[in-house]
Amino acid sequence: MYYKSKGYRIFSIFNHILLILVALSCLLPMLHLLAQSFSSKTAVNGNLVSFWPVDFNIEAYVKTFKNTNFTGSMRISVVRTVLGTLISMFIITTSGYALSKDFRGRNALMWIFIFTMLFSGGLIPSYILVTKLGLKDTIWSLVLPGAFGAYNLILIMNFFKTIPKALEEAAFIDGASFFVIFRKIYLPLSLPGLATVGLFIMVGSWNAWFDGILYMSNTTDYPLASFLQTVVVQGSAQSMALSQSEAAALSEQSIKAAQIFISTLPIILVYPFLQKYFVKGIVLGAVKE
Amino acid sequence: MKKTGALITTTVLMAGLLAGCGSNGKESNAAEAVLKDGKYDPPITINIAKQQDENAGKYINGESLNDNVLTRWGVENLGINIQTTLLGGDASQYNTKLRLALTGSEKLPDVLPVYDTSLENDLIQSGLVKDIAEDINKYMPERLKEIYKQYPTTFNPVIQDGKVYGMAISPNLTEGEVMLIRQDWLDKLNLKAPTNIDEFEQVIAAFTNNDPDGNGKNDTYGFDFSGKDSYNTGWVSDSVMIFSAYTGKSLPGQWYNDNGKLTYGSVADGTKDALAKLRDWYSKGYLNKELATQGAWDALADFTEGKAGIIIGRPWLYGSVKDVETNVKGAKIKAYPTINGVSGDRTYQSGQQNDGVFMFNKDFNNMEAFFLYYDKLYDAAFGTGDFKYGYAQGYDYDIVGDEVVFDSKKFNTPLDAAQGVGKMAFTKNTPSVDGPGKSFYDLSKGAKAENGVLIRSASNDETAKEGYVISYENRESLLPNAFNGPPTKTMQTTWEQLNTMEKETFTKIIYSKEPLTAYDDFVKQWHDKGGTKISEEINEWYNNASKVDVMSQMGLK
Repeated sequence: MYYKSKGYRIFSIFNHILLILVALSCLLPMLHLLAQSFSSKTAVNGNLVSFWPVDFNIEAYVKTFKNTNFTGSMRISVVRTVLGTLISMFIITTSGYALSKDFRGRNALMWIFIFTMLFSGGLIPSYILVTKLGLKDTIWSLVLPGAFGAYNLILIMNFFKTIPKALEEAAFIDGASFFVIFRKIYLPLSLPGLATVGLFIMVGSWNAWFDGILYMSNTTDYPLASFLQTVVVQGSAQSMALSQSEAAALSEQSIKAAQIFISTLPIILVYPFLQKYFVKGIVLGAVKE
Repeated sequence: MKKTGALITTTVLMAGLLAGCGSNGKESNAAEAVLKDGKYDPPITINIAKQQDENAGKYINGESLNDNVLTRWGVENLGINIQTTLLGGDASQYNTKLRLALTGSEKLPDVLPVYDTSLENDLIQSGLVKDIAEDINKYMPERLKEIYKQYPTTFNPVIQDGKVYGMAISPNLTEGEVMLIRQDWLDKLNLKAPTNIDEFEQVIAAFTNNDPDGNGKNDTYGFDFSGKDSYNTGWVSDSVMIFSAYTGKSLPGQWYNDNGKLTYGSVADGTKDALAKLRDWYSKGYLNKELATQGAWDALADFTEGKAGIIIGRPWLYGSVKDVETNVKGAKIKAYPTINGVSGDRTYQSGQQNDGVFMFNKDFNNMEAFFLYYDKLYDAAFGTGDFKYGYAQGYDYDIVGDEVVFDSKKFNTPLDAAQGVGKMAFTKNTPSVDGPGKSFYDLSKGAKAENGVLIRSASNDETAKEGYVISYENRESLLPNAFNGPPTKTMQTTWEQLNTMEKETFTKIIYSKEPLTAYDDFVKQWHDKGGTKISEEINEWYNNASKVDVMSQMGLK
């Protein structure tokens, strides 16, 4: 048997070591961050924290949750993620269902969608569009522009195509309409695909920061990722004119660590529930019949 | 076909509806607001753009950007309502938003603080900003004119064809850098603070080799600085002092006005000697090992950890590294002036006269109101009027009993951090006329702390106060960059490459990865690859900027 051969065992050992190293390189930065978030400010500034908190305290978390900007941004992020995922999923599944059928002009339509994957209008036209539509400063400016993603559409569409035609025909004979078939057959059968694409969209909207900064004129309307962007990037800011108070704010490394950690938690928590669909979803959706 | 028709109709209707939502702009107030007893009636609104860092304090009492103690103060006392309509978090986002606003998709705010010279130039070219020479002459209050008179070069970036398209944001010379030294290490090794390059070398050698922290391990070094972004950070973890010791007034990465001719510091005589010295020190372990990978802010950590003995920065740097006095038992930091050069003259460092400029929408007709408001903000800097102590009691200062306090933890309602005025007013920095630390100097000479500026200064840490006094006494050593104009034509295409080449060459020489002669190659290449051309262009810019006497046009002479 091949898996008992010497060569295979050596390969296996190396394989494990390599994978452990890769896993550690993902895990250790998180651990370091976690340790920092529970350490005192002086210890963090002195570079004394590695993977275990020094002078354990939860002050950074207390301060973070007391900061109404942070909690407000968190709320906006949750709203935008939920709303964005729902709207996006609705658009993509309905259009994916339609496009999985044969009809006249389908290829032309597909071509138009794929075109948007390769070329975009650029920042200025998008900005002008969103502004002139009056979406600026509303949650819709975060949700709508990215609601329809061609890549996700193709995944879902291919997934729908793998469902046997015969199922649909049988349902027709029983008197079901397109909408009933879509709801009662296609959606339940393609749960892995939906979960995968849903996770993509969710992570995408949770992490998106640039649109928030672009379309919100009030920092209190920033989603969490935009808020963090202003807070964390500032740490590497190079400005000669930096004032004393700003410099003091820069040194709040433990608070930044806490904020980053809290902001990654929701996605980490969602992941295990969707993970079981993940591999299946991608593989099935990617194979064309 | 019928369906298509319906679809099109719906789309058109939707578009119409959405477009309708967008255009509910306010009616411009037809009734002319008049200034009566220093107050506008009915109140007028000034729209502003603002770059604001979220991390610098937060709002208290449920206030917000457009409704806080200072905006309300403006309406009540001056009849001026300040409304922020364009906001960016950090510098690059803010610039992006300003550029997008230039597309004309929405109304440009009335007052635009701009912090980027090339964007300043674009705004001027776009024709959307106003020539304010007349307005300054007519409306700028006398005490502000006195300030702007002192800093004529701050107008250079906004002067074009004899027109003035903006003005510096609260011009004021920054504080100078001081040397922070571990006094306990000096005492332990029986050393004195260095005053020239040889003494400096002795001290950092001792800090590296003689185990100043007495833990029996060879884990300390002498001089901590950053070389990641440039060898002239200008604020903290700076190494300019070493270069200046050999080059005098030519500092790396900046332009020096040598009797009317602008020259570039990184290719000046003496730079090679400085690099040779740094190279020697690096190989002996006297310097921060990771200097080329650590930014100015990261490089502090070694000092704060108790591994490094000397760091250079603005006096307030003490506040950021004083944690070492908590982390390491017996640690004590003291501030000293920077050393003298090899010629015996002082060493120089970069100073800054302003952070960005104000520009104004060309349709903005209330310059008088702007100056009225701006002048009031200066009350805090002069310690007069409504803002004698600070901007708002209970926000940035408080009066407890009879005492004015700036320590937010001692407020009547204690706060985690005082609410900085940047959060409320229309600039991120507070106007100041204190220069490189005059109030600290006055205090040290026995002045009574009776206005906000002096009381605030007096409430600083002892070491920081000493640092400011040193900074003020050595204010002559501050050199603003002589070139503050927009990138020239050749600069736009090649400056980035020249800069990269400069940084790489300097770092490789210090790291001993290339011989010292690599510097000569660099100088030659720098000139050949655009440096000469850029120097010409910059001098041309300088001559043009100083040709037309706009200062007297503005009544600033």
